[in-house]
Amino acid sequence: MRFLPPIYFHLVARSARALITTIGLAGLAFVLSSCDLGGLSPIFPEPVSPNGKDIYDTYFYISLVAIAVFVGVEASLLWVVIRYRRSRQPAGYVVPQVHGHAGLEIAWTLAPLIIVLAIAAYSFVELQKNFQPINNQEMTVKVSGHQFGWEYDYLNGVVVHQEGSLAAEVTPFVVPTNTLIKLQFDANDVIHSWWVPSISGKTDAVPGYDNFSWLKIDKPGKWRGECAELCGSGHAQMQIMMQAMDKADFDAWMAKQKAATTSPSPSPSPSPA
Amino acid sequence: MATTVLPRPKQYDDTFFKPISIWLTTTDHKLIGIMYMVTSIISFVIGGIFALIIRLQLSQPNLHIVDAETYNQIISAHGVTMIFFFVTIFVTGVANYMVPLMIGARDMAFPRVNLLGFWLIPVSIILYYCGFFTGGSLNAGWTGYAPLTEKAFNHGLGVDFWALSIMVWAISGIMASTNFLTTIVALRAPGMRFSRLPLFVWAQISTSILLLIVGAPLAAAMILLEFDRQLGTQFFTTQGRPVLYQHLFWFFGHPEVYVMILPAFGLVSEIVPVFARKPIFGYMSMVAAMFGIVFLSMTVWAHHMFTVGMNTYVEGFFMLMTMLIAVPTGIKFFNWIATAWWGSVEFTVPMKFVFGFLATFLIGGITGIFLASVPVDTQLHQSYYVVAHLHYVLFGGSVFAILAGIYYWFPKITGRLLNRTLGEWNFWTVFVGFNGTFLIMHTLGLEGMPRRIWTYANPAWATTNMIITISSFLIAFSILLFLINVVQSWNHGEIAGNDPWKGNTLEWATTSPPPPYNFERVPPVRSFMPVRDLREAGELVEQEPVLTAT
Repeated sequence: MRFLPPIYFHLVARSARALITTIGLAGLAFVLSSCDLGGLSPIFPEPVSPNGKDIYDTYFYISLVAIAVFVGVEASLLWVVIRYRRSRQPAGYVVPQVHGHAGLEIAWTLAPLIIVLAIAAYSFVELQKNFQPINNQEMTVKVSGHQFGWEYDYLNGVVVHQEGSLAAEVTPFVVPTNTLIKLQFDANDVIHSWWVPSISGKTDAVPGYDNFSWLKIDKPGKWRGECAELCGSGHAQMQIMMQAMDKADFDAWMAKQKAATTSPSPSPSPSPA
Repeated sequence: MATTVLPRPKQYDDTFFKPISIWLTTTDHKLIGIMYMVTSIISFVIGGIFALIIRLQLSQPNLHIVDAETYNQIISAHGVTMIFFFVTIFVTGVANYMVPLMIGARDMAFPRVNLLGFWLIPVSIILYYCGFFTGGSLNAGWTGYAPLTEKAFNHGLGVDFWALSIMVWAISGIMASTNFLTTIVALRAPGMRFSRLPLFVWAQISTSILLLIVGAPLAAAMILLEFDRQLGTQFFTTQGRPVLYQHLFWFFGHPEVYVMILPAFGLVSEIVPVFARKPIFGYMSMVAAMFGIVFLSMTVWAHHMFTVGMNTYVEGFFMLMTMLIAVPTGIKFFNWIATAWWGSVEFTVPMKFVFGFLATFLIGGITGIFLASVPVDTQLHQSYYVVAHLHYVLFGGSVFAILAGIYYWFPKITGRLLNRTLGEWNFWTVFVGFNGTFLIMHTLGLEGMPRRIWTYANPAWATTNMIITISSFLIAFSILLFLINVVQSWNHGEIAGNDPWKGNTLEWATTSPPPPYNFERVPPVRSFMPVRDLREAGELVEQEPVLTAT
């Protein structure tokens, strides 16, 4: 049994050349696609909260490894298609009857192992950093999901009712910028999931089950989100609108809300149980 | 060399159109296998029609082709049909047909259990679809998360029919698994040691072990849900523990992915060596990798639940175990490439599908790493990124391998080859259509489009969704070509002969189609490629072909 046929070195040189060319082309394609193509972004929207930024970075670093693996494996598949197809083999080519190679098999057991351990370790550090319960928040908001909308309870008597709608813009959930806000999640009926991609990942609102998240938005603006857990026929209309204001604007907004709460509200939004 | 050909029993006619009484009562593993496969292909067509309705509804913002409630029923039915009634059933069917042949047995160990196990499947399918005629089928996604499936939020009978259907399905799966394991342990031909079992048979062992272990918890989850709905218990209700349902469901649900993909791995491991004219690279590591996957797949279920708010160390554990699955999968991948490397690779239609499988399943595997990373998953979870990922695994993985398997074994099952030209068209259209549908779907998820939404208002998603919808119709066109090919070739295809591909495993030593008793004389088994050994030694007994050109 020959493990290394005589054409081996020639082949390695050629495959290396092909591989480098392919990686170069794919790299170029990636750089091009990273430019915003509108509707076809290869990564999340630019996040505005530190936990979202960390997720963005994690995604980016995993992408680098993933693209290398993808290009390498696809290139070797392509190489098999091009080089080892029967029509390309010389007449009378004797196929080497290789049954395996312990060294190679150990190598491609260890290589993925090392890669995934590194990714897991990096992700675990992120996990410990951003997904632990916090208690140094400057403000707490209780977010509660129902079929089909959200309530944001600022725990000072002010509650924003965000009834879902696809036809019009929903009432925004307003927060001050540069303030560490803890969100506590709850649901009244079925499971919902609160997701604003520009801020951070999603958090499930499970009835009778404490869940939390936090955000600290660094600039004023408005961001869209949606409920991400199928919650019934109105799931698609369960839109989220998130608005961040400067501290002063927020205080003015909050004062107005408080005044509206103490006087009878002109438009009580219906909230089906 | 002339051998006496045993007379074939009259009831076993060589055409497909046998009397219905034979189909209803047969215990022949091959006929049961065909019935499994035909049932599953019918489910595939129905599930595909659901998929096209979904794509039409999402092709542009604010469409109203079906209403939201119907849409939720359709997405649920698409998932349940494709996962429970198509892929799993197909791989059970093909294994039913091939495993006894590959190990040189005359039939399954328990032919009548086999018969019962099969006939539970139509019962399960009909039970599920009863929901559509009794005021609304399951409308909570194929996962049927409580409390949305509880009586308080779901009054109709749809959920009950679904739960019953899945219980029956689980029982059938447990029967089939027991039967496969017993058959493989007890009925191997002389010389067919475990170290010489074809990898497809190893895949069936690992699949059966998996389904035996996880089938029961699934049935348990369904029974508890029915207790809640019918007897007023509070297991998963708003007052109970909704998250417990997710644990029970995914303890089945994730291994189920491997129930669908391990037989696909087995198929690929059979097809690559035959067309590369090389033995499989690293037989032992292939087997070990399968059992690595079996073990790991039962320790990863909570990666579907990273957003419910678990302890971060628990999440870290499930993240690590999930990522570790990349190691055995990687071993298999590299071994397949190494098998073809230096080979003389003939790109027949089955081999093209295998390479399509390798090229696309890789993407599903890589996006799986992103999803396993907890921080990243909190963004990607329940978005169109997940939809794209799971279709790369189940369509780019399982379905491509299934199509490869059909093109590969159709000549053995029917005695006729599938038409090559149609097959080439089938491959290229499904390959382009599939990638056109699901590759750009990843970006929708990254931009914030949640899955399972009936419609959307965001105009930025319109173009991408339109491209996806058009591509999905290309897939449908391709599947239509495939169905035409199957029907046409079954009756009029080119006569294949007994061994059209110069195969390695025992099924190629008998006639096409094989007689009811499978082998007149079981060939000697001296390695994991017994038929190839015989061919090279010039000892392959030429069986008289069953079909002759008419």
